[in-house]
Amino acid sequence: MKDSYTLKSLAVLLENNKISSKEVTSEYLKKIESGKELNCYNTVSQEKALIDAEKSDERRKSQNLKSKYDGIPIGIKDLFCTKGVTTTASSKILSNFIPNYESTVTQKCCDSGLISLGKLNCDEFAMGSTNKTSFFGSVKNPWKSLNSDNELVPGGSSGGSAAAVSGDLCVASLGTDTGGSIRQPASFTGTVGLKPSYGRVSRWGIVAFASSLDQAGPITKTVEDAAIFLDIISGHDEKDSTSSISPKENYYENLNPDIKGMKIGIPKEFRSDKLPVSTQKSWDECADLLKTNGAEIVDINLPHTMSALPAYYIIAPAEASSNLARYDGVRYGLRVKGNDLIDMYEKTRSEGFGDEVKRRILIGTYVLSSGYYDAYYIKAQKIRSLIKSDYVEAFKKVDAILTPSTPSTAFEIANEPSDPVQNYLNDIFTVPVNLAGLPGISLPFANDENNLPIGLQLITNSFEEQKLLNVARNIEKTINYSETPEKWWLK
Amino acid sequence: MEFDKKSLLKLGKLARISINEDNLNNLSKDLNSILEFVDQLKEIKTDQVDPTSNSLNQKLEVRDDKVDNKNSTEDVLENAPEKEMDFFVVPKVIE
Repeated sequence: MKDSYTLKSLAVLLENNKISSKEVTSEYLKKIESGKELNCYNTVSQEKALIDAEKSDERRKSQNLKSKYDGIPIGIKDLFCTKGVTTTASSKILSNFIPNYESTVTQKCCDSGLISLGKLNCDEFAMGSTNKTSFFGSVKNPWKSLNSDNELVPGGSSGGSAAAVSGDLCVASLGTDTGGSIRQPASFTGTVGLKPSYGRVSRWGIVAFASSLDQAGPITKTVEDAAIFLDIISGHDEKDSTSSISPKENYYENLNPDIKGMKIGIPKEFRSDKLPVSTQKSWDECADLLKTNGAEIVDINLPHTMSALPAYYIIAPAEASSNLARYDGVRYGLRVKGNDLIDMYEKTRSEGFGDEVKRRILIGTYVLSSGYYDAYYIKAQKIRSLIKSDYVEAFKKVDAILTPSTPSTAFEIANEPSDPVQNYLNDIFTVPVNLAGLPGISLPFANDENNLPIGLQLITNSFEEQKLLNVARNIEKTINYSETPEKWWLK
Repeated sequence: MEFDKKSLLKLGKLARISINEDNLNNLSKDLNSILEFVDQLKEIKTDQVDPTSNSLNQKLEVRDDKVDNKNSTEDVLENAPEKEMDFFVVPKVIE
């Protein structure tokens, strides 16, 4: 991206004393203020950010830096618990919740000296693909179509995280991805979104949605920044028993865009007549580019791809219905008075949750209930095995898989389908990756005929983030995508 | 199976979410549409397949059973909607 800071570029400027953390943090707080219309932030930590920036500048003076990236301002999805800072999951039920502990991922950011500008808007409890389910209203995509002034969705659920990076209301941001919630909004906003392998990043202190699928990851302006940010947040955490004990790598230091001899798979099941011509064209062009750069393109089969989305919409709601049982109006969050205990539970949850969250809790409760558990929940878990084995077979033949990130570019907020199932189709290319626990990255490749970003997705085998980032870096280096949205919100 | 009024109200009870009667039609339409969508899985043969509950190929670690509670009573009660002394307060349960 032109004329805006990246983690990499800002680290150099700070190192050479061209700018102080306080200056750059103030600059971003002003950008957030003038970008209010985008509705990216649920909470802006104005005072705290400036104090933290001053502390960072002092550390720099006394040569006592926490890391090379000490003093860089970032944004945090409002799903990460942050000590003393309201954490709402964009839900009414948590709208007054102030955690007294810090999530592992945000603690790691603090330990590297990153400055939090505030908490970013998202779909309620990360359930949605357009950011429309947020209790605090939709985020607006910084991009607009050439032919229309209408506002576009930023994607979701990490819509605020993606829009804030795209509109330069932070240098980089944290998101979470359960079925595409980092990659889909990254694709809609021309940013880079990385979902690590399940277990690469600790889930401790993140508001849980579907525990066997949730992963945190960065949304950044470049692939290099994604590698830098993954270095900061990844690694084993004894507080999360599902965090991997396999050693993490130095992703940025080892970033190597050489892909000679690599095999890149193109899954035929991802092809569709419904795919926009421009997306298909970008997909083909990217495959050609990788071939020119020395890779071999291989046609592969992922036969159970079409079953991934229905399986996901059993597994994710099932896990959500269990996880969200904790919101009962007793220990934290909203309480609505009732005639007795049960009445209090029912009224609290009915008023506190939005429609999409309620739908998922009800579906989840249904598929786990007596008489339906085997037919739905166990069935979906068996499908999950089939999907996983599709990828195991594929990675015997190829190093990475290339697909589109989304079936369309960003669409108008007003045109969002009212049928929930139509909305679920937004995640058709990203969901299988979560079910199989693999790492995936979406990176912008080109803009379509309406000047809207088209994202492509790369997938590698579990814990092969280095390879994933290397291939992505190869593409980034070759195409040098540098489109940024026109800042209409400043007018 | 289809969601009708009776089954929806029962589901609401199980999930502890009170369901507004005015909203029953829309809700049953939405849930039936989701159910129809996931029902396509019935066509796939899975008799010989084991279920996957978690994609991580790793034995879950068990930690030592020792007290390491950094949360104070004050911390735990900090966000409580209603509290008294060291307790969460809920509507009366026992007569």
